[in-house]
Amino acid sequence: MSSASPIVESGGRIYAIALNTLREARRHRVIHGIAAAAVAVNLFAMFLGDMSLGNEARVAVDVGLAGVSFFGSITAIVIGVMLLYSELERRTIHTVASKPIARWELVVGKYLGMVLTLTLLLLLFTAAMLVLLWARDVALTSVLVRSLVLVWLEVIVMAGVALLFSSFSTPFLSGMMALAIFLIGRTTPDLAAAAERADVGLVRWVSEAALYIVPDLHLFSPSGRPVAGDAVLSIHGNFVSWAYVGSAAGYAALVIIAVVGLAAVILSRRDFS
Amino acid sequence: MDVIEVKGLAKRYPADFLGRKKTVAVDGITFAITSGETFGFLGPNGAGKTTTIRMLMSLIAPSAGTARIFGDPVPSRRARARVGFLPEAPYFYDYLTVTELCDLAGRIFGLDRATRRRRAEELIERVGLSHARKRPIRKYSKGMLQRAGIAQALMNDPDLVVLDEPTSGLDPVGRREVSDIIADLRRAKKTVFFSSHILADVEQICDRVAIVVGGKIRDIGTVAEVSRRDAAVATDVVLDVAAIADDVKEELRAGAGSHRHQGDDLVLTVEPGADTSALIARAIDAGAAVRRVTPKTPTLEDVFLRRVRESRVQREEKS
Repeated sequence: MSSASPIVESGGRIYAIALNTLREARRHRVIHGIAAAAVAVNLFAMFLGDMSLGNEARVAVDVGLAGVSFFGSITAIVIGVMLLYSELERRTIHTVASKPIARWELVVGKYLGMVLTLTLLLLLFTAAMLVLLWARDVALTSVLVRSLVLVWLEVIVMAGVALLFSSFSTPFLSGMMALAIFLIGRTTPDLAAAAERADVGLVRWVSEAALYIVPDLHLFSPSGRPVAGDAVLSIHGNFVSWAYVGSAAGYAALVIIAVVGLAAVILSRRDFS
Repeated sequence: MDVIEVKGLAKRYPADFLGRKKTVAVDGITFAITSGETFGFLGPNGAGKTTTIRMLMSLIAPSAGTARIFGDPVPSRRARARVGFLPEAPYFYDYLTVTELCDLAGRIFGLDRATRRRRAEELIERVGLSHARKRPIRKYSKGMLQRAGIAQALMNDPDLVVLDEPTSGLDPVGRREVSDIIADLRRAKKTVFFSSHILADVEQICDRVAIVVGGKIRDIGTVAEVSRRDAAVATDVVLDVAAIADDVKEELRAGAGSHRHQGDDLVLTVEPGADTSALIARAIDAGAAVRRVTPKTPTLEDVFLRRVRESRVQREEKS
């Protein structure tokens, strides 16, 4: 046994699980399919750019970023709902959980493995997008980098949400619930507007409750969002600052701690039959 | 000191929302295993062996009772650091090689890289998988899979080795290989706790056994003690019945628990409690010659089957 500090030992166990999760995710054919689809969308965007008379750059950036975001989130949901559930279903978790590892370390390791996998996939998607942008003579600006960081934050938040659902539900149900969270989370401004304008008390109550419960994913895709009076956030012009990205990262960290923590609590009370 | 100490351990699954009745998988079992012992947990399928082991390994929470490993109450990470565990019908990460599987186990046990490499090398050699070290586990046969499982379970050089049905589903060669590994562990003074429904394995390997049926321990002790536990044993009476009438033969057969023919002889097995002397006297009166009267030495199998039958009768009476 090593004589390292408990924190280092715990980190070692978490790292072992994360590394194994990355190895496992690498083998999933669904993920290969999503990666292929993401590349295909960029090719499609090249074709769209040809048709968009003078707006090639804007269309390329729009479609490219939307593709990275969409495929990233879908992959996050797929990985999130599949990887933990398959461990429980196939009982591979028995080999690991019977060793001196805490359940929370297992969950955190699993989550970090997912984050590692998703980061590598987003890099791949981004590379495909950069090829598209290069073909359209669009430079990689700091605006674009900031928007990609926001997309990454959204994707890792979604992985946490999916992991939470998979700690107590089947992949199909978990996938449906995570998708619902994604759709609601992306439309929080509309939900807020609905809550404000609703005449029926129940509609207002439900909308407000959803705003409290569902993570505000719109924070991570701020294109065209009005803030601070007349200012309009745009990925094409005066984009959000690094300070905004920082605050969004803080929010993402809080959501991740909450959902992964809850998943750890659920899993620590669960029987591995 | 007891390595494993179990008191009144129980696992009950509540009735589901459809109202299907609750299940009692383990019904308040108590036993202890001392250091260096090889202890067999013997029982038919569904007896509660695996549930007990999963409770000890902190995979499921008990409904009642306590368990201690090396004096630490379960669940205890400190205790698990000294335990090597092979799950029932193990499913490992089949994309890994046995070397990678051992490395993963070593990392979780907190071993440094050099120790992980050395231990993995030694264990893979010891379980006879050196030739398949680069092959993914999904390409392994069931016997190879069990041996890979044993290798990963021994990465921490455990003081206690828990093996859940290590020989189940293996061919005779595979069973022998696994039994040899357990015998090695025994020689190395490790405490071994393993479950099985294969009597021969338990009989050959174990210092002590517990017979588990219907979630309860029905018998516990050394193989000899358990086998001798029932003082009343059946008796084989071998008769030369050439000279006696058919209706008397029928009467003798009816008086015994069971019978068989051995050449021209009739072998009557008289169950404990039946009047053997009266049956022999009747045979002699009818003109039969008594060749042999042999009290049957009960085997572990006899005791095991009797305990299973008793448990079934009790359950039927209850219901």
